[in-house]
Amino acid sequence: MSDTILRASASLGGPAPVATTEQAVLDQAILGGTTVDWLALLKPRVMSLVVYTGAAGLLVAPGTINPILAFTAILCIAMGAGAAGSINMWYDRDIDAIMRRTAKRPVPSGRISPEGALGFGVGLSVLSVLLMWLATNLLAAAILAISIGFYVFVYTMWLKRRTPQNIVIGGAAGAFPPIIGWVAVTGHLALLPILLFAIVFIWTPPHFWSLSLFASADYEKAGVPMLPVVAGARATRLAVMRYTLWLVPVSLLPYVLHLAGPFYGASAMILGLTFIWYASGVVRDKQDATGVSQTRDAPAKAAFKYSILYLFLIFGALVVDHFL
Amino acid sequence: MTDVDRATITETNWTPEQKAEFIRRRRGRNWALFGGMIGLCLLIYAIAVVKLYHAGHMW
Repeated sequence: MSDTILRASASLGGPAPVATTEQAVLDQAILGGTTVDWLALLKPRVMSLVVYTGAAGLLVAPGTINPILAFTAILCIAMGAGAAGSINMWYDRDIDAIMRRTAKRPVPSGRISPEGALGFGVGLSVLSVLLMWLATNLLAAAILAISIGFYVFVYTMWLKRRTPQNIVIGGAAGAFPPIIGWVAVTGHLALLPILLFAIVFIWTPPHFWSLSLFASADYEKAGVPMLPVVAGARATRLAVMRYTLWLVPVSLLPYVLHLAGPFYGASAMILGLTFIWYASGVVRDKQDATGVSQTRDAPAKAAFKYSILYLFLIFGALVVDHFL
Repeated sequence: MTDVDRATITETNWTPEQKAEFIRRRRGRNWALFGGMIGLCLLIYAIAVVKLYHAGHMW
């Protein structure tokens, strides 16, 4: 039975299956995951951010949409993001098994088979795009399909293992949801959702590089060329600051271009300056000659947590401003 | 067919505890799938009603 599983896994292509023959892991694979394990494939924490920004795009769009269709659009964004996460877990199962942060995920731990995760992801992807088309319009469905494809093919399969710019370019995948939410209502693109895309796009590098600073040992062990692994911690700290400095003026553009009101403008300014303060903490962290933290990367952890809060608050401010 | 009988179909030499665990997990997955499919049917029905209503084809 163990050979069957490994052969089936290998026949699906992608990276080599994790070569573990431990009976306990195989037993888990044969038993199949629990419902919670299958839900974990969808990366619920990532999904929550995606759903939130997608809902914000939908809420600030001009015009109206039936609540059932709005619910369906948000559900499709969630399913699409989750599907991409599931395919990502299938493809990255070899490196996930090496990294401590991801070793307990359902596929590397053997609770769900690789082919199960792949089938689940592909099935949900198709379902989410078709359902989006049925409920809203073709353009929203097409952008959802592009975002799933971008995450799977461009980020996961092409960039992640090749370049330290992986999350800079790959970050576009996570930036699509506000556009999808907007287009689900209006049926066409406009400047504001493109600016929302830009905010998430530029927010992604400081968010992920803060994480990679305190998870760099994991990435190095797995051979993933994240910026701290390739360019060192010091260069990463400066990159976090550089992108945060870019983020503030970009986040102010909706106000400057009269696409959002003063409440949003003031919120973006305060949140942005706070982000810069956290990023400066990352730069000023007590470190050795190579830039490695002497404080267990406490400032990077704080910046990472704040970056999540930042995204919630700035999109929340946009929605509140819209209804003021 | 009892739960234990169903577990023998898996062609493995599990202990009774493993068989019980397999059945528990499978039942959980089946219920989740059932709930998901019912939800999907209801959602597609609701979308159809909304679309037809807005298109003026209902009532």
